[in-house]
Amino acid sequence: MHQEVILAMLAKEPSHGYQLRARLREALGPLGEALNAGHVYVTLTRLEKAGLLAADDTDRSDRSDRSDRKVYALTPAGQQRVAEWIAEVSWPKPDLAQFHLKLITAAAAGLSDPLAILDAQRRELLRRLREAQRAAMAEPAHSDAALLLEGIVLRLQADLRWLEACEKNWTLRRNRS
Amino acid sequence: MGRILLVGRLAVRDLRRRRLETALLLLAIMAATTTLTLGLVLSEAAGDPYRSTREATNGPDVVAGVGRSAGLARLEELAGADGVVERGGPYPVLRARLQTSGGAWDVQAVGRRGADAPLDRPQLVRGGWVREGGVVVEAAFAAALDVGVGDRLTLDGEWFEVAGVAITAAMPPYPEAFCLLACRADGEPADTGAVAGSAREAVRNPGLLWLTEADVRGLTSDPDALGYVMNLKLADPDRAQAFVDANLRMGAQGAKGVPYLLSWQYILQESTELAQDAQVILVFGSWLLALLAVASIAVLVGGRMAEQSRRVGLLKAVGGTPGLVAAVLLAEYVVVAIVAGAAGLAAGALTAPLLTGPGTGLIGGAGTAPITVSTAGVVLAVAVAVAVAATCPPVVRAARPGTLGALAASVRPPRRVGWLIAVSARLPVPVLLAVRVAARRPRRLALTVAGIAITVSGIVVALSAGAGLAAQRLAGLYDAAQAALLGQVLFIVTLILLCLAGVNAVFLTWATVLDNRHLSALARALGATPAAMSAALAGAQVLPALAGAVLGIFPGGAVLLAVINAMNDNGNDAALPPLWQLLVVVAGTVLVVAVLTALPARLGGRRPVSRALQAEV
Amino acid sequence: MNDTTDDIADESTDDAAGTPVLRVRGLRKQYGAGEGMVRAVDGVDLDIGAAETVAVMGPSGCGKSTLLHLLGGLERPSGGQVWLQGRRIDGIGEKALARMRRTDIGFVFQSFHLMEELTAVENVELPALLAGRSPRAARERAAQLLEQVGLAERAHFLPSALSGGQRQRVALARALSNEPPLVLADEPTGNLDSAATVEVLRLFESLHRRGQTLLIVTHDARIAATADRLISMRDGAFVDETRLGGGSTGRLGALVGLED
Ligand SMILES: Nc1ncnc2c1ncn2[C@@H]1O[C@H](COP(=O)(O)OP(=O)(O)OP(=O)(O)O)[C@@H](O)[C@H]1O
Ligand SMILES: [Mg+2]
Repeated sequence: MHQEVILAMLAKEPSHGYQLRARLREALGPLGEALNAGHVYVTLTRLEKAGLLAADDTDRSDRSDRSDRKVYALTPAGQQRVAEWIAEVSWPKPDLAQFHLKLITAAAAGLSDPLAILDAQRRELLRRLREAQRAAMAEPAHSDAALLLEGIVLRLQADLRWLEACEKNWTLRRNRS
Repeated sequence: MGRILLVGRLAVRDLRRRRLETALLLLAIMAATTTLTLGLVLSEAAGDPYRSTREATNGPDVVAGVGRSAGLARLEELAGADGVVERGGPYPVLRARLQTSGGAWDVQAVGRRGADAPLDRPQLVRGGWVREGGVVVEAAFAAALDVGVGDRLTLDGEWFEVAGVAITAAMPPYPEAFCLLACRADGEPADTGAVAGSAREAVRNPGLLWLTEADVRGLTSDPDALGYVMNLKLADPDRAQAFVDANLRMGAQGAKGVPYLLSWQYILQESTELAQDAQVILVFGSWLLALLAVASIAVLVGGRMAEQSRRVGLLKAVGGTPGLVAAVLLAEYVVVAIVAGAAGLAAGALTAPLLTGPGTGLIGGAGTAPITVSTAGVVLAVAVAVAVAATCPPVVRAARPGTLGALAASVRPPRRVGWLIAVSARLPVPVLLAVRVAARRPRRLALTVAGIAITVSGIVVALSAGAGLAAQRLAGLYDAAQAALLGQVLFIVTLILLCLAGVNAVFLTWATVLDNRHLSALARALGATPAAMSAALAGAQVLPALAGAVLGIFPGGAVLLAVINAMNDNGNDAALPPLWQLLVVVAGTVLVVAVLTALPARLGGRRPVSRALQAEV
Repeated sequence: MNDTTDDIADESTDDAAGTPVLRVRGLRKQYGAGEGMVRAVDGVDLDIGAAETVAVMGPSGCGKSTLLHLLGGLERPSGGQVWLQGRRIDGIGEKALARMRRTDIGFVFQSFHLMEELTAVENVELPALLAGRSPRAARERAAQLLEQVGLAERAHFLPSALSGGQRQRVALARALSNEPPLVLADEPTGNLDSAATVEVLRLFESLHRRGQTLLIVTHDARIAATADRLISMRDGAFVDETRLGGGSTGRLGALVGLED
């Protein structure tokens, strides 16, 4: 989980840690279930140490957990960091080269049949697709989580299509030799 | 040049790609043009043959005759009467017995000298004029005797040779000829103008022969056995009947040897009586045939047009201008139309004698009816007009911009007839499918019903006319030979009608089968048995056939008979055939349609499902 | 929710061991002869248990459609045996075949193949009418099926007035008209865009959940991913089989990099 996400969530208003967690779960839907509670607090502490946010534990209500009593707010440095993050255009890079080279090296060294590798990989991706799809269908339409899940489904489809192209290519190579 | 070649290549390729359809279209246009040819030839043949014969032979206005040489003085008197401007004869006439290898006939032999008589110069159809020992036979009689030039025959035992065959306007053709002299058993000629009518009972339809005068006189030693006939021309031919009436009244005061007189109008009436009956049959027959031919062309061209819309879209999509598209389609149809038109003309020319033959003999026309240039022109023009008309709709649509997508997209979508679909849900499966198949193409359904109705009404009329013919023959209005002639005409017209209707039924079924390939594959994929599907495809024809058959009897046949009766003023009104015959006609029609449609329907219903389904994608 | 569907899938796998809905042994189909002979289906063995969804994927021309046509009785095999619910169906007569297509099999086509002149509900009731149901019963069942596929308010629309996804849902309802034990679908989303694909996908999912046995041929990984088993086909034969069913990894988060 990117630290910047937590920072950006505080840009609206200062919040308790548990409030941040709830908002995250809402936005991520079933994906957020994997998010463990400690992760958010660890991040918050780390950000506090870095001076990007300030904690105020003056609100002494009936909470017993120390960290839950704190209200976090952005420092000016934190605000600047959020602005930078929003303006960024970086994008996660799918690491296709690794798989591509796996096929080539496996074939060259006779370690394994590339087609078998492809079949196994496809199986794995299909399993993921199935999972993502089921999750997507369980979500109410047009929810934030459904949108995210659709993105996952589409990317998996793209990957599967690439595997198809690989398969065609490797079948051809095998037939030629 | 290159463009023309391209157009030709595209057209020929398309025609060859759809061989079956091209052949069917060819056949349909050919059937239509054959029918048209027949109709035109017939109308020409029956136009006014008596008048033309009268002109060609310089026919008399009045024919006068006496049974004895004693009456010759009276004939001379007549020749001098008011209004007479020219005379021919008197010529001796002898009643004789003619014998050929085929049988014996009563004949009247007229003695003539040269061929250059002032009036009534019989026109030779074949051979030459009379000579010593050589006779000329009236054309219709020759046809009945089946004799030709060079044949030999005997007259009262004397041998003669047939020198020629000729037609005349002075006597109705065989077997309508009337007695020029003693025909009755008592040896007396009828003594009034009604001689022909009343004599009929007593005479065995005398045939007419011309001999040399010397030969006629040589056949008998008794000068009293000879009668005389004289031809007169009047200043005013229109007053011929009045002349006859006036002179008969005068002559009626005398006793024996009174001449009888016949006006040319009377001869005309007698000559054409039978021909008119045949004419009515032919005219109605060709109407019905033309309607059927139009129906079959409509089906085929309609089916092709849907296909062509697609093709037009394709041609346009690859850059064809509307002009090019039009040229290609036109070229296709013109090629088909000209080939089919020519074939139709030939077929018509070959069939025409079968129809006009009997009529020609009767009315004394000139042998077989020739195909005139104008007939050929009209027939080809109609064929090409059909072609152009068929080309127009797709071309016009193609010329409209922006319809390309629609054109390329699909064939004519099926129609939805909601109430029929709802009603059919209650019917057994094959009938359900049949009704739905039929309901998808209401226009084709209408054509089927109309085609069958036309055919059945034709059959009803033919039945009624046949029955009428038999009745009139029993009543003595026609003799066997006449009835046979009319029967033959009736038979040929009915036969063509049935053939065309049969071809039509097959066309329609094919069109239905082709059109419903997808539907039948789909229905089978959903669980309809092949048998149910075949039954449905055939049923889609049989159900309308049943409706058509019923409509063909009433109102079709009934109305047609009423019209015929109104046009035919001979007082012998034709009635609807008896109920059992009508029922047989309906049952027979349905059966025939079922049989004709069974094969295409079976083939269509059995095509492998998966291929038929995929073909459509 | 994941858990419930998986339970059903697991049950069905147990069932499959008992009496398979479909059993195929050595199925072959060849077109043509001599040089030009094509072995479209070349020795296929397959068992599909009740309530199981099986997907077949493979490159174009590998014989998927041919296989479905053979199983659906739309085409005759050149060899091999097929049992549908324990009854041999290869080599039976045309009439029996037609009866089988009518009552034992529902077919869904890539291009929908609805009758254009019939409304949605009339299309859906047609197989029931062909099977000799009373018009009223057929109509009731059709209305109920349209309700199930979410098209109750479009029941009296002509296919031309429906979207692609809606048409395919009508086609699916039609396939279910006679409650067939097996539904065969040949690229049911092949002509649909992504949104329409989801419509059909949901329908297949709910059918699956209700225990309908399905055999789907598809190019679409999303459809294939709904299956319990995925079969890869190449040159007329099965080359790989994957059981996709089985418990969720519970690690959805890993899919988006929320976990490491
Ligand atoms: N009627 C036929 N006659 C001859 N060959 C055929 C016929 N039908 C199919 N084939 C051949 O059989 C093979 C399999 O065809 P099939 O339609 O089953 O492929 P497919 O896997 O469905 O392809 P796609 O994914 O493109 O639909 C192909 O090579 C095809 O050319
Ligand atoms: Mg296919």
